[in-house]
Amino acid sequence: MSLTYTPVIGLEIHVQLLTNTKLFCSCSTDYIGAVPNSNICPVCTGQPGTLPVLNAAAVRLGVRGALALHCTIREATRFHRKNYFYPDLPKAYQISQYDLPLGEKGFLDISVEGAMKRIGITRLHLEEDAGKLVHAASDGRLSGAGESLVDYNRGGVPLAEIVSDPDLGSPEEAREYVSAVRRLVRYLEVSNGDMEAGSLRVDANISLKVSDGRWGNRTEVKNVNSLRSLERAISYEIGRQKELLEKGKEIVQETRHWDDARGVTHSSRSKEDAHDYRYFPEPDIPPLVLSREEIEKIRGNLPELPWERAKRFREAYGLGGEDISNLVEDRQVAAYFEGLLSSGASPERAAKWVQTEVFRVCNDRKISVENFPVPSKLLGELLHKIDAEGLSTTGARDVFECLLEKRCSLQEAFEKTGVASSALEGDALRNLVQTLFQEQAEVVSIIREGKDPKGKKRTFLQGLVMRASRGQAKVEDVERLLEEFLYK
Amino acid sequence: MELWEYPGWRIAQFVSRRELSVEDVVRSHLGRISCCEPQLRALITPMEDAALERAQRLDADIQAGKELPSPLCGVPVILKDNMCFQGAPTTCGSNMLREWHPPYNASVVEYLEEAGAVILGKANMDEFAMGSSTENSAFGPTSNPRNLALVPGGSSGGSAASVAAGYCPIALGSDTGGSIRQPAAFCGVHGMKPTYGLISRYGLVAFASSLDQIGPFARDLGDIALTLDVLSFKDPRDATSSPRKNGRYLDALERSSLKGLRIGLVKEYEGEKIDPRLEASVVHAARVCQDAGAEIVHVSLKNAISYGLACYYIIAPAEASSNLARYDGVRYGFRAPAETLIEQYCATRREFGSEVQRRILAGTYVLSSGYYDAYYLTAQKMRQRICYEFDQAFHDVDALLMPTTPTLPFAKGAVTSPMEMYLQDVFTLPVNLAGLPAISLYAGMTEEELPLNVQVVGPRWSETTLLGVASMLEIAFGTPPIAKGCDNA
Repeated sequence: MSLTYTPVIGLEIHVQLLTNTKLFCSCSTDYIGAVPNSNICPVCTGQPGTLPVLNAAAVRLGVRGALALHCTIREATRFHRKNYFYPDLPKAYQISQYDLPLGEKGFLDISVEGAMKRIGITRLHLEEDAGKLVHAASDGRLSGAGESLVDYNRGGVPLAEIVSDPDLGSPEEAREYVSAVRRLVRYLEVSNGDMEAGSLRVDANISLKVSDGRWGNRTEVKNVNSLRSLERAISYEIGRQKELLEKGKEIVQETRHWDDARGVTHSSRSKEDAHDYRYFPEPDIPPLVLSREEIEKIRGNLPELPWERAKRFREAYGLGGEDISNLVEDRQVAAYFEGLLSSGASPERAAKWVQTEVFRVCNDRKISVENFPVPSKLLGELLHKIDAEGLSTTGARDVFECLLEKRCSLQEAFEKTGVASSALEGDALRNLVQTLFQEQAEVVSIIREGKDPKGKKRTFLQGLVMRASRGQAKVEDVERLLEEFLYK
Repeated sequence: MELWEYPGWRIAQFVSRRELSVEDVVRSHLGRISCCEPQLRALITPMEDAALERAQRLDADIQAGKELPSPLCGVPVILKDNMCFQGAPTTCGSNMLREWHPPYNASVVEYLEEAGAVILGKANMDEFAMGSSTENSAFGPTSNPRNLALVPGGSSGGSAASVAAGYCPIALGSDTGGSIRQPAAFCGVHGMKPTYGLISRYGLVAFASSLDQIGPFARDLGDIALTLDVLSFKDPRDATSSPRKNGRYLDALERSSLKGLRIGLVKEYEGEKIDPRLEASVVHAARVCQDAGAEIVHVSLKNAISYGLACYYIIAPAEASSNLARYDGVRYGFRAPAETLIEQYCATRREFGSEVQRRILAGTYVLSSGYYDAYYLTAQKMRQRICYEFDQAFHDVDALLMPTTPTLPFAKGAVTSPMEMYLQDVFTLPVNLAGLPAISLYAGMTEEELPLNVQVVGPRWSETTLLGVASMLEIAFGTPPIAKGCDNA
């Protein structure tokens, strides 16, 4: 009988908090692209005699994140020192939280193959980031390098570490969970959640449960820098562990490094896994006491959360699964979409346009919806004309292109493109058909003589009318007029 | 009377009234320093040029009629060399920081300079404030100005010796387990450790963060009170500093009686090994208080006496092991040449003196997994019990009288065992564990002209009461005379 192997996965996600200043000093957190060691001060470089002063904005963002993750918020928490030596850690200890994290025992619901799955959140705590080492040697090893340089710009940047329960059962679930967390922190404006830039980092703890009762040791996989890498790394690690367990071997409990280029994990620093961090309460920071009122105030200021918005989009606008997930993924997209609705577009039309035209332009121009050149009010009015005034989608697209290029008013765009702002009907359409009949007298007489049994000539005529009307005539109007002019 | 013999508050008065120039004041003190320093070795970095320059600038401001920066206008001050002062190295008495120039000023330096003080130099100390004799300095020992063969106490021995010898009316020290009060006692001056949180620690190089506190040395209680007035602020750069300044400390000295106060003598201390002359000065002090109207009662501090030392020598090294981990040769200070990172760490950190290494190792050990509960956690629990015990005692009394030290100053080289040295602090360190304010007062001289001491301890934020009691004792014992023993013979 063959054995089954059930993956047990828990993730630790570090998100950089969107504060202007660092966790314990007033240096800027804007380190991307900054000249090395330009955003530093005596405090964040650990100069003798300096002291940390906790950034209240970081605490608020931490509480915001923890509340959205349904965590219980501790009214009294404290910080600990995590002691270890490394050149990127200026004080040789990291100020973190240990026994009393900001938030605990929360959950996040994710959607797995259409079904909802609840993932437990063990804890959310605050800590400071380390600096960055730049190695001179090409192989990346410190010992082989002629010299190593340290950039402390990132040192002291506030992080929230979100630890999940080991509730994830597959690489796909892990990916879905990380995107849900990312979506959430972006909605909350707690973090920009950018994995490539390192403002959202994931470590994966993976073990396998075997149907014969064995449960392999877990390994911790680091260095996954994208959702794709995360899925690949977990798949690889599951495969590797399964192979070992099949042979009856033990899994070494260790930290493993994901090598994205080679698509494998390899053991890293196994000796240093035996780190004893000698945690103890940070004496320089008094216990952090949060009043019920403060916590409730932060709760009251939570924005509409992604799942709440999805529910509303489903119920209020009657949208379906894929539309909702595309529109809700990004808070700006959702806001743009709702901007369209508020200037009169119908939900279906707006949903369709956002996912086609708007996404296409954003992709082509590599811009975010936030910077979309056509304001939602203009586009919404344009879409309204399709639904309510019979403007053709072809005409609307011409106007939209004009709005994109010329950045003009809606009326100017209609004038420039020559598109009439409403359907061509009545006398205008009648005149157009009449003119065409004169131009195409030959074709008309062929039809009238009954020499068009398959109706090809008639379809040709109809096409001409539609083209002349720039698509603004309604098909049924055109058909009715053709009938009238041909056989009356 | 020479200018260097005056108390600070008198100097500030003279200067404010334009009866003296700051330059005269500073030159007088610099003269005294150059006279005694060859024998005393109290300073690591004298700062003649910077001090004179500042004096001239202050004089120019005064001449120009700019508002006088009271209340320490023109008063020379010496800093223990673990307080950051831009323009000079801050060595902490260690080879590790021999060349380190801090890129910022300690908060106390800002406060002093705003009050018009002139910093004359940086005083010798036991390396990283670990020691009770100033013999653990990488810059060599300091002599006791009362008797050059003796140690000045420690770790703030250079600051205490400076004040006793007349280098300056006021010096700052730091007290983690007695490092202000014990050298004050040994050098025969006053020294005060305020309540934890009264004075900002920003810019004080940390030894044990939950115990460290800055405080003044002086030969006059007026200068102690004045310095507290200048330094007590809620500092936004130190999260453990408190806004609880309780009034103007100078006014606390106006007390004319101790009526209504209950003052405690600690029962358990009576059985300890104490020099009988120091026991006698506590009895003497108690009689003075009684004569001034206070009621004398006996209180028990069983835990503080029995377990304080053990508790302290777990918590202080634990915090020190973490605070001193940053001296790794990467960013500043000494760096030993090495091939690999680990070798660099090890070779660099071997530069710590043996007492520092001993405490780093002890602290690392008590925080290690498997030992944390047995040592660090137990010590923390005991610390809480000691705090509670003091709280209970202070329900009954307003202040405690006890010796500062169990012995009179000892000879250089006489105490070699670390344990024997640690016992120096048996009466001072429980006070740090509980974060209490305490003052060590000059209490006269023995027949051999060695200074006696008495310590007054109060509940948190009771500086006003403490200074009131101290002022009655100062009247009885007199203000400390300037040590003559170090004059160039």
